[in-house]
Amino acid sequence: MLSSLRELYQYRGLLANLVIRDLKVRYKGSVLGFVWSLLNPLLLMLVFTTVFTVMVPNLAVPKYPVFVLSALLPWNFFSSSVASSITSIVGNSHLVKKVYFPREVLPISVVISSFVNLMLAFPVLILFIVFSHIPLTINLLYLPIIMLAQVAFTIGIALIVSALNVFFRDTGIIMEVVLQAWFFMTPVVYPLEMLPEWRLLWGIMVPVRRITYILNPMASIIASYRSVLYGNSYGAAPLAPAPDFLARTVVTSLLVLVVGYWFFRRQNHRFGEEL
Amino acid sequence: MPIRIHVERVSKFFALHKDRPRSFQDAVLALFRSKKHREDESFWALRYINFTVESGEMLGIIGSNGSGKSTLFKLLSRIINPSSGKVTVSGRVSALLELGAGFQPELSGRENIFLYGSVLGISREEMNARLPEIISFAELERFIDVPVKFYSSGMYVRLAFAVAINVQAEILLIDEVLAVGDRAFQDKCLDRIASLHHQGVTILLISHDLDSIRRLCSRVIWLNKGEVRMDGPANQVVNEYLAFVYATEEAKALNKKAVNQSQDSAAGLLAEADDAELPVDAGLVDSHHATKRWGSREAEITDVVLLDEQGNERLTVTTGEPLTIVIRYQAHQTIENPVFGVLIVRNDGILMSGSNTSMAHYQLDTISGAGEVHYHIAKLPLLEGRFSITAAIHNQDETKVYDYHQSSYPFSVHLGDVRERYGMLYMTDAHWSHCGSDVHAQ
Repeated sequence: MLSSLRELYQYRGLLANLVIRDLKVRYKGSVLGFVWSLLNPLLLMLVFTTVFTVMVPNLAVPKYPVFVLSALLPWNFFSSSVASSITSIVGNSHLVKKVYFPREVLPISVVISSFVNLMLAFPVLILFIVFSHIPLTINLLYLPIIMLAQVAFTIGIALIVSALNVFFRDTGIIMEVVLQAWFFMTPVVYPLEMLPEWRLLWGIMVPVRRITYILNPMASIIASYRSVLYGNSYGAAPLAPAPDFLARTVVTSLLVLVVGYWFFRRQNHRFGEEL
Repeated sequence: MPIRIHVERVSKFFALHKDRPRSFQDAVLALFRSKKHREDESFWALRYINFTVESGEMLGIIGSNGSGKSTLFKLLSRIINPSSGKVTVSGRVSALLELGAGFQPELSGRENIFLYGSVLGISREEMNARLPEIISFAELERFIDVPVKFYSSGMYVRLAFAVAINVQAEILLIDEVLAVGDRAFQDKCLDRIASLHHQGVTILLISHDLDSIRRLCSRVIWLNKGEVRMDGPANQVVNEYLAFVYATEEAKALNKKAVNQSQDSAAGLLAEADDAELPVDAGLVDSHHATKRWGSREAEITDVVLLDEQGNERLTVTTGEPLTIVIRYQAHQTIENPVFGVLIVRNDGILMSGSNTSMAHYQLDTISGAGEVHYHIAKLPLLEGRFSITAAIHNQDETKVYDYHQSSYPFSVHLGDVRERYGMLYMTDAHWSHCGSDVHAQ
């Protein structure tokens, strides 16, 4: 494990090149390329704001655009990373079959370039925060920790799905549905506080909110972002996430990363002949 | 010399799992399907391969298609892992498996050089230092900032070759890529390969171009059906390999013929032993003329062998080099004025040459007991191909045949250093000259 990490470090140049290539292709030949990549979350923000403040107003979340955008940007980073990492190995089969390099470079580079995208979009979010008269607090210093946790978690998932797709080519189709469901199961467009503490389902009392936190690391990650950027849905100013909550989130994310990396390394010697 | 590559008892086994689910959908459906028909086909691409390569060696790898050459290279470059055994490679490997495989069409030549370098694990600074040399080697000074999608295929290949060869690898794997670009560039590549060899780079070369192999490599490994058939000096291995290829082809042709005309019993017998598994020198039998033998047998030909300059027995001989055809005989009684003769027939039935002692005014008075008659050819004029020797003993006026072996002794000719390849004959001792007012040929 340690030697493969050292090897990964040795190939950091390739990682950087792949990220640059990806960004170059994405923003090919236009300043508009960057605007286009912002357009999607902004339009979605507009749609959700219309739906949940005009059409279904009983959500009653103050400053809804910031509320939704502060969760939507991290979510988009996650879902676009996962979606494009699925084909990262198969799509580069011409390389994988011809040259040796640590294969994990491919999904990791996809995640990093999506992360660069997130960073580029963040100033726009900050603008929205300022215009909505939400104070920028010292709690923003938590952002690097939260982001690192999310990157770790995302890389873990990306490693798993990219390897799975080598062996099962319909991984992409399945993940499309999974990501859609995941989006609605994660408190992105609605506040977590909306979830009932307990709910009777088939005669059993189910702790819905707790289960969401425990089974869905994205819920914790999104909640942390929102907490330091926006506050809570009752109109409170941005606040620090509870230390034990943050610690659990970070540990879970690192665990997913380790499991994903372990799984990937176990399978990757078969890529050369499966493709 | 330190050892660069150590291959120990390496096997590679491919399961041709037709039934393995390729998607989750198949996997789920497979749960409901009966498992009766799940027979997995499999084959050994490589089987118990052992060899080592020392630093600075230039090793050729030959073998027919499907013999495992490319699989071996993939194992050495770590693209796939062996099923069993161990591959140890020490040093930076640059593999020219498929030129330009990693190029991005949207990026410029310069950007692709860095990308390709990083695929090989080379830092940006190091690539920066090599950049001028790569660009000048590829002869792309004017086009280096143009996206490679606008490159001609020749430019593309030149760039790829230039990058792969200029990355200061300690081990270079070259798989059948010498046939790229125009002639001038090919020569340049060959020169560069030779100079890298002199600098001590370990080079492994796969090629079907046996002449290049012979010229460049000192040692050759011959792979056959995933096993090392032979490992030794280049000329020796290439010769044996050629003899084997000829034998296999002939045996196949013979087999086909036997099926077509099943009355030919001699061919039929050989056909049973066929199926490409013939030992190297068992199947060298001419396909066009079935071997026949007749004569009164007062004197018998016991064997005919070919000797090279050093007096070694050969089945494959070389154009332009000395050759001696030896007829061994056993005379059961004293025979007066016998005549020994040989005919050389190409495998398509064309009689190339014939001579006997009488025509050459070489008078033999009497023979009795065992002996040998030698027919010396100073410079073999035959070009590449497969031939057979007919040998005979008869009396002075050809009215009585003692023993006649028709097309019984096959052999092959390869070109060696001779560059001529048109027609059937090599004009030994021919030369060119020039007469003109102001041009002087050297």
